[in-house]
Amino acid sequence: MKLLQSTLILALATFSLSSSRMAAQDLEPAQILHPSTDSWPTYHGDYSGRRHSTLTQITPGNVGNLGLSWVFQTNQTAPIKSSPLMVDGVLYFTLLENVYAVDARSGHQIWHYTYPPNKGFHIGQRGLGMYKGYLFYLSPDAHLVSLNAKDGSVRWNVIVADYTKGYWTTEAPLVIRDHVLVGVSGDFDNLRGFIRSVDPETGKTQWNWYASPEAGTSNATTGGMTWMTGTYDPDLNLLYWGTGNPTPVLTGSSRPGDNLYTCSIVALNPDTGQLTWAFSASPHDTHDWDAVETPILIDGTVNGAPRKLLAQASRNGYFFVLDRITGKSVLTTTFGPTNWALGIDKQGQPIPNPAKEPTPDGRLIAPDESGLNNYRSSSFDPKTGLFIVDSHPAWSIYFAKPEDGTYGWAGADYGLWGKAVVEAIDYQTGKIRWSREFGEGGASAGVMTTDSGLAFTGDPFGNLVALHTSDGKTLWHAGTGSPMQSSPITYELDGQQYVLTSSGGILFSWTLPNNGQ
Amino acid sequence: MSKGTISAVLLTAIVVALHYAQKPVHAAAQPQQTSANAPAAASVIDSGGALFYTNCAFCHGRDAAGGETGPDLTRSKLVSEDKGGDNISVVVRNGRPDKGMPAFNLSDAELNSLQAFLHNRMLIASTQKGGRRGVDVSDLQTGNKDAGMRYFQGAGGCAKCHSPTGDLAGIATRYQGLRLEQRMLYPGRARATVTVTTASGQTISGTLAYRDEFTIAMRDANETYRSWPMDKVKVSINDPIQAHVDLFPKYTDDDIHNLMAYLQTLR
Repeated sequence: MKLLQSTLILALATFSLSSSRMAAQDLEPAQILHPSTDSWPTYHGDYSGRRHSTLTQITPGNVGNLGLSWVFQTNQTAPIKSSPLMVDGVLYFTLLENVYAVDARSGHQIWHYTYPPNKGFHIGQRGLGMYKGYLFYLSPDAHLVSLNAKDGSVRWNVIVADYTKGYWTTEAPLVIRDHVLVGVSGDFDNLRGFIRSVDPETGKTQWNWYASPEAGTSNATTGGMTWMTGTYDPDLNLLYWGTGNPTPVLTGSSRPGDNLYTCSIVALNPDTGQLTWAFSASPHDTHDWDAVETPILIDGTVNGAPRKLLAQASRNGYFFVLDRITGKSVLTTTFGPTNWALGIDKQGQPIPNPAKEPTPDGRLIAPDESGLNNYRSSSFDPKTGLFIVDSHPAWSIYFAKPEDGTYGWAGADYGLWGKAVVEAIDYQTGKIRWSREFGEGGASAGVMTTDSGLAFTGDPFGNLVALHTSDGKTLWHAGTGSPMQSSPITYELDGQQYVLTSSGGILFSWTLPNNGQ
Repeated sequence: MSKGTISAVLLTAIVVALHYAQKPVHAAAQPQQTSANAPAAASVIDSGGALFYTNCAFCHGRDAAGGETGPDLTRSKLVSEDKGGDNISVVVRNGRPDKGMPAFNLSDAELNSLQAFLHNRMLIASTQKGGRRGVDVSDLQTGNKDAGMRYFQGAGGCAKCHSPTGDLAGIATRYQGLRLEQRMLYPGRARATVTVTTASGQTISGTLAYRDEFTIAMRDANETYRSWPMDKVKVSINDPIQAHVDLFPKYTDDDIHNLMAYLQTLR
């Protein structure tokens, strides 16, 4: 009898423990596979990178009534560059050393963690990864910190790369099952880029994949920084990631050849880090054109047959559509002015024109160094088959001379002019179905699309706009006071659809009155 | 010559070439950007350097000589004319939003260390012989001035708006080197003019002050700022710089270097 009682008590205790765990803000890895609409569990929203929501409460018909629900003010002068996570009613986002947990209903702060003062480059921070009750944050000085989601306390802190060598980190880690995937940045030194898989419980390294040969290998490149969060196909069990430019950056004499795997889209096995295939977006790049823009996964149709595809609107001005099983090119085309390639080779890769490499007296190049596309997320809308990108047509002059050496930047480049244009690319043909000019100067924000046919983005002047995905018409806007340097997210909570955007140091949430009724 | 001698000569040549590759030829003399500030204490410079590294180095380079997207501050007119941070503080505190530079909320002490660091970098850069990542006037002398004049008067279309004895007289005295080439390709400060016609038929003209999809603004003939919602007025804009933008896809690199050679004769 006593044994039964003890067993019962034990069983009850276990049950209540697990109940309280279910009520806690936890994210099981399986939830990232099929995100519920009341969540945004990973940087891109889901593993496909489409940044497309099935929510339809906000429609082209009623978006004109969209209004401010609440704001969260960080009181920081640096801008928010992160996409928040939303899990179990709590928003988690970052701003340089700051990690915030905010009530997604009220916009009130739950906790705020500050990473200690450090000497890394403070250029930005894109957000967090989450696994069960733990968050993962990459600091400016290339540490990976795991926090308890409940209260922001530190579980562990591991070094990803040595910032004194010139590495820094900015991206949102990607969680796949029991792997936390992180990448690095660092263009001012001749460093190897890599992707690392870390154990979410212990912080121990599981594997590294290197984008370039060991530094010091003769006639070989370094670089291939893995700046931005990749995407994942769970059926193929393939991790897709973009790599950055080779180093030295603007001069290629010390690194002849295609400089694999810099400026590439690579497919890795996430359990082992083994390379399955690689596609070079810019063989032998000399213009700093990272290929780290989101490798968006599209389940599409090619010549009437279903195909598993991957599409990237790349920094260098090219729109690539690949077969994501084999890495073979399906389509390569430009999505704005480019003048640096002789053509496209049999692999669908651009052939760089040697006459457009930087010279002592300068070469006029389109696009500029910040590229036709950059960190701002594109979005793919499966209903219209449109790939929406905030492009930045631009012209620049690039210089390099022997005195600039073969280390780090090794040259100088100057942007002359650019403008912001939102484009809707038909993924099957590469043709631009519609485009909207937003004005001269800087670039626009990232894009998020929804099933009801809306595309949310920001213009270079701080206006948040809702466009009609099918024709690009502006249906609603609000001036937010500072150009958006992030990509929007959306979720529903308590029967209400929220769109979250940032501008300056402020997080804005937008809803319809009366849940849209 | 015997094989051995040839090899020796070749080897010597290679060694000499390598030697000169690492010790580059001193760049031709150009107007030095000097710094009219008394040197600061080493500790202040170091503090400024640490601040610069974490906040500025990504864009402006660790040595302030240019990085991703940001200009070379060691050749900056604003920095060379700065006295004790008077110019620099304004730019750092306000940013340059139109150029993508954010604002930084730094204390007076922090700004002081930053300006000390920048002046020190400028001093070091001006005495450096090699390893610079900038563009010297001597780098931009590869064009043919006669071809440049033909392009100016012909295919370039420059003569439609510009005259070598009129608006461009003395241009090469006012600007040299990279700055001249940048302005030649895109003279960013020229203002567009705009005419707004209201619903009642009134027309107002002025220089363009602001434009986005929703708002148009100008400084009118009295320099008064005026704005209207875009959807309530008809707008026509005359942007004289548009012709420069239209040339971008048309230039060859030779055209640009030849034009530079020609403009540099207009002193």
